[in-house]
Amino acid sequence: MWKYVKKLQYPVNIRKKDLKMAKYLYSQYGGPDSELSAALRYLEQRYTMPDDRGKALLTDIATEEIAHLEMIASMIYQLTKGATIEELKQAGMGGTFAQHDSALFLTDANGVPFTSAYTEASGDFIADLESDMAAEQRARATYEHLMDLTDDKDVLAPLAFLRQREVVHYQRFKELRNLYLKEKIQRKI
Amino acid sequence: MNNYKPALDYYNYKNNNFNQPTFTKNENPSAIYDPYQGFIRGNMFPDLYNSYKTNQPYALKEDAFTYMDAFAFAAHDINLYLDIYPNDKDMIAAFSEYTLQADKLMEEYQSKYGPLVVSSKTNMVYPWAWDMEPWPWEN
Repeated sequence: MWKYVKKLQYPVNIRKKDLKMAKYLYSQYGGPDSELSAALRYLEQRYTMPDDRGKALLTDIATEEIAHLEMIASMIYQLTKGATIEELKQAGMGGTFAQHDSALFLTDANGVPFTSAYTEASGDFIADLESDMAAEQRARATYEHLMDLTDDKDVLAPLAFLRQREVVHYQRFKELRNLYLKEKIQRKI
Repeated sequence: MNNYKPALDYYNYKNNNFNQPTFTKNENPSAIYDPYQGFIRGNMFPDLYNSYKTNQPYALKEDAFTYMDAFAFAAHDINLYLDIYPNDKDMIAAFSEYTLQADKLMEEYQSKYGPLVVSSKTNMVYPWAWDMEPWPWEN
């Protein structure tokens, strides 16, 4: 089970409205390499990990990714807070307003709705861990693109934090995959 | 926008250790940051730290709230490490110290500002304290 803690993992305090940046941030909210995709893929895969190390690591990283989803949502919320319809139209978010008003509907930066096709689960733990390594690298690359798109320190600081977490997660998945290969671990059925 | 150009060459990144095929400083990391320094970097392990776009991590106000987050973060990052290296005694000691410290700071915060978890003693009051603002996304 899960328990809610009424705070963010890392603070988000954005003072300046920036609708275009909010739109770009949807990439990490409901996009292919988003925090939601990551959380769900690790939760899917943990049942077929061969030992306790894999089950623990996937559970704990998935849990952290949900906290990251909340950080991204908070950033979008704060960047769009108080926006007028005219401002939304100018930022290319008129369509978002028409369908969802200011609700945080799960789409990518281009409005494509979230799908479980973004998660991957093969039942083969090496294939899954290698796909998780790739997912962390893609998310890191996305965070770098997002950091390229803004100069606002209030936005950059949480993005830098989130990007760094991808680096650490990538390393942990890589280490676990290397340990499994080295120890010739097999899954008991 | 500024004149910043994204560094497309991985191997010219400063500290780009995580993308090296032979990077093996996994077990017994040479050092860990103190919780505040680790928290502002998003990484407790200097061997793994890899910055982008800025050479300096973004500083956070060093108050009780930041320290509560920092100790919880430190414990969590070590938690992920211990998941795959469960026999590292030094890291278990660090995990225990930071977790106790984070719990203590969280208790103090809750007694001042209200509950962060439903099960907090500060929630056993009239009127129901859980609904009190602010919510995490409201700055």
